[in-house]
Amino acid sequence: MIRRWLQGTAIAFVAGVALAHAGDSPVDTQAPGVLLSRQLAARARVSIGDSVTFASDPEGTRTVTLRVAGIYEPTPDPMRFTAQRLEAHMHLPDLLAVVADGADPADPAAREAVDTINVKLTDPGDAGRFAAELTARAPGVAATPTGRARDDDPFAVLDRFHLAISAVTVIGATAFLLALMVIRAEERRDTVAILRLIGISRRSLLTAVAIEGLLIAVIGAIFGVLTAFAAEGLVNRFFQARYDTALVFLRVTPSIALRSVATALPLGLAAGIAASWPLLRGEILSLFRR
Amino acid sequence: MTSLWLAWRTTKRYRVRAVLAVIGVAVIGALLFDMLLLSRGLLASFADLLNSGGFDVRIVGSEGLPIVRLPIAGSTRLAAELRALPEVRDVVLIRIERATLWSNERTSRTVTLVGTTQTSGGPYTIVRGDDLPRDSSSDRCPLLVSRRLAASLGVEPGSSVQISVSPEGVRSALPPVACRVTGVVNFFFASTGEHSVATTMTALQEALSVGAVDADLMLVASQPAAGPAAAVRAIQRVRPDLRAYSNEDVVALFNQNGFAYFRQISFVLSSLTMVFAFLLVATLLTVSVNQRLGEIAALRALGISRGRIASILLWESALLVGGGALLALPLGGLLALGLDQLLRQMPGLPERLHFFVFQWRAVATHAALFGVTAAAAAAYPMWLTARLPIAATLRREVVG
Repeated sequence: MIRRWLQGTAIAFVAGVALAHAGDSPVDTQAPGVLLSRQLAARARVSIGDSVTFASDPEGTRTVTLRVAGIYEPTPDPMRFTAQRLEAHMHLPDLLAVVADGADPADPAAREAVDTINVKLTDPGDAGRFAAELTARAPGVAATPTGRARDDDPFAVLDRFHLAISAVTVIGATAFLLALMVIRAEERRDTVAILRLIGISRRSLLTAVAIEGLLIAVIGAIFGVLTAFAAEGLVNRFFQARYDTALVFLRVTPSIALRSVATALPLGLAAGIAASWPLLRGEILSLFRR
Repeated sequence: MTSLWLAWRTTKRYRVRAVLAVIGVAVIGALLFDMLLLSRGLLASFADLLNSGGFDVRIVGSEGLPIVRLPIAGSTRLAAELRALPEVRDVVLIRIERATLWSNERTSRTVTLVGTTQTSGGPYTIVRGDDLPRDSSSDRCPLLVSRRLAASLGVEPGSSVQISVSPEGVRSALPPVACRVTGVVNFFFASTGEHSVATTMTALQEALSVGAVDADLMLVASQPAAGPAAAVRAIQRVRPDLRAYSNEDVVALFNQNGFAYFRQISFVLSSLTMVFAFLLVATLLTVSVNQRLGEIAALRALGISRGRIASILLWESALLVGGGALLALPLGGLLALGLDQLLRQMPGLPERLHFFVFQWRAVATHAALFGVTAAAAAAYPMWLTARLPIAATLRREVVG
């Protein structure tokens, strides 16, 4: 029912293992390969083909010398974007040669011990059942599904936070828009009065005001979206340089652009009509202050 | 008639636009105030949480402040050595394990089990029942359970439960140990979705079926005369292989790593809201002045000086921005409550941690920023009126 797949070439994530020396040592072409993160390679000033020695303690009591087979960009992780990604990926036996003491079978870091086994299920929906079954069969082993429920995801919470801030900004902007439209309506008080006096219907004037509000909203929304598109690259470049990561911090997607336009249009329309309504509804003579 | 009075009269005359402008500034100001609270709030709350236990130094067995802690070898002996240091007032050992708690044969919960040598005034508040007993012989396995867990299992002080520990990285099926609930508490560091229990270190040793258990965290209270920095140095002299951090160090470390996102977002949003408020108030004042050019030219023709006119405009700006900024404080407070509740839904956060914490410094910064905004927003309209040609403007008004 459940097919398990264990990564064939066990690649170890090395944390707390010190990169002892690099670069100027003679290159051992027979040495096993290791992949270094771009940040670690830059910090240690090594390049592909160099020999590097890893040790599990500052004294270098247990070491392994490996050849840099490649330099990789770590997969951006939004949960760790402030962390320095000084990482290396090596074959599991090479890692165990540095950290494990094979003579002591009681040592949890012995040769057969690993911290984690990643399992890929045929049906990801079975994760809960698989975890329960494994825990029952192998007491002491903790099986945790890696997928997060939507409610348990910190980014879903941040999403709601950003949405709340956007809503507040829209309320503030609407108040200002209304104030500007009120000024504009007052400016045109005499014009509206004359138009109504010569027989232009309220409906025609209302349509004109609505179209004007809509046009202003469309132009404003397009300008806003274009500004966001222009800022996207700048913001990303700034934060990527600041945190030395390939993480994309800001992305203006078509759906976001559409959502902003869809929010701006009815607001512009409503603000235009609401500001002009007293002029259209009132008596003509009162518009001439008579 | 003073400039302020004239500005007030003008604002009253155009009350609809003034009210709308004040509402706009208040909403934007509330957002700015919240971002100022957010910029330092999480750190202040975190520092408060760390200091709440009365211990100002933390000792761990590995570099940094890891999520997975390494046991501190010989921690009981080390605690005795540290207590003898003149810089140290008290030492507490803590060991955290995963465990399963049964209230009866069928009802169980996975819990975080905290073993501690501290038997009074720990990082919790007692809701019902008593603290852990000082004398370990009186109760073999006393337990403090979190309020949420007590409600979930239906246990109260005096209830009997069974606990089985699942040590990390060890393949074992330890037999359950019979325990008695002594108290129901609110743990300071427990997250919203976490079930926590605390017991004595002796009881934890029994549950783990070992003679002596090493702590994975040691809390140290420094002597007030020496301070935490001196205590850290003294601890490092005794055990250079361990890492000791004062509460200030921990806060600084988290400020550098963990809280960077909120610092950045508060900075970006504060800057944006300021620019937004400036642009909108400046636009509003400029459009308003353009509409009143004839009126301003007439005032000038009557002999009112340029400086006085500029002063009136500055007061108008101050009334709009100041009114909005004042309203922004209570509005921002209410908004902060909502946003805090929203952000605290993040998994794994201690229940007592808050993102928005009131600080007078934030109020002062808020006032200063709005003062600058009011002055900057009035600058262009003031310049416009200062160079206004009186005769030409009046003629245009009459002819137009």
